[in-house]
Amino acid sequence: MAAKSDLLKQTEAHIDPPILNIKPVQQILDLCRSMSFWPMTFGLACCAIEMMAVGMARFDIARFGAEAFRPSPRQSDLLIVAGTVSKKMAPAVVRLYEQMPAPKWVMALGNCAISGGPFYFEGQYGIVAGVDKIIPVDVYVPGCPPRPEGLLEGIFELQKKLTGRRWWPESREDKSA
Amino acid sequence: MQFTWLNLAIIVFLAAGTLLGAMPLIGATLLAPRSRAKDLGLPYECGIPPHGAARVRFGINYYFYALLFLAFDVDVLYLFPVAAFYPASPGWAVFWELMIFIGILALAVIYFWRKGVFTWPRKVTF
Repeated sequence: MAAKSDLLKQTEAHIDPPILNIKPVQQILDLCRSMSFWPMTFGLACCAIEMMAVGMARFDIARFGAEAFRPSPRQSDLLIVAGTVSKKMAPAVVRLYEQMPAPKWVMALGNCAISGGPFYFEGQYGIVAGVDKIIPVDVYVPGCPPRPEGLLEGIFELQKKLTGRRWWPESREDKSA
Repeated sequence: MQFTWLNLAIIVFLAAGTLLGAMPLIGATLLAPRSRAKDLGLPYECGIPPHGAARVRFGINYYFYALLFLAFDVDVLYLFPVAAFYPASPGWAVFWELMIFIGILALAVIYFWRKGVFTWPRKVTF
């Protein structure tokens, strides 16, 4: 069993800090980065439908600066793993992650990307139990699939991770709780 | 040469243009974190490793098309300015020069004719 899981190659990507690592400058740059994510057009399963919905007019990810979905990892800084990662797809996911230039972030969207979801059961042989087994994940968005608002919350969390604060009002339910 | 304000303006504009082009590159090099990864330099093929060489063979037919294009189309293109100048040309010199030009291009046509290109043989079998 151990020999089988060795097939899953973890990424060897390493991110060096910038040459000029001045904290206030990096804080300003991080603010700019967090308000203009360029996600990669990378849908693996049904969560990608929610990702498409979030790009459209009703949920409109453009309000939060992340509407520039790029078709190439060379131009993107946010990898939204939207769906089930099969073992056949895993090397491609790792390769695409490695081909993204720094700085880069990963969002695991949906239960499949987090843990394998309903497709991970005893004796199954084809599904990776969570994309964090192969690449480092910054934000987990649970749901099966998560609603588009969930993806937006994931973006907010990532913005919070970069800048240290939440930039948008909480939903009414969160306030009452 | 006298150095005028115009010369200075040209130099200033050149310097500003170079600076505007170079600043984002230098800024990105200094301020952005760098990623090191094995597959970073790989040609992008949707996450699939590329196979085969970039330099591949293709049909020699395209070479014939290119040369025929030169022999017929570009040939005529260069004759337009000659035709415009011809009525004003003195003596027979221009005529003979034109004949040499057309003669060389005619050699190309004769070459293709002898090679059997005009029968449009199918060079590639599918």
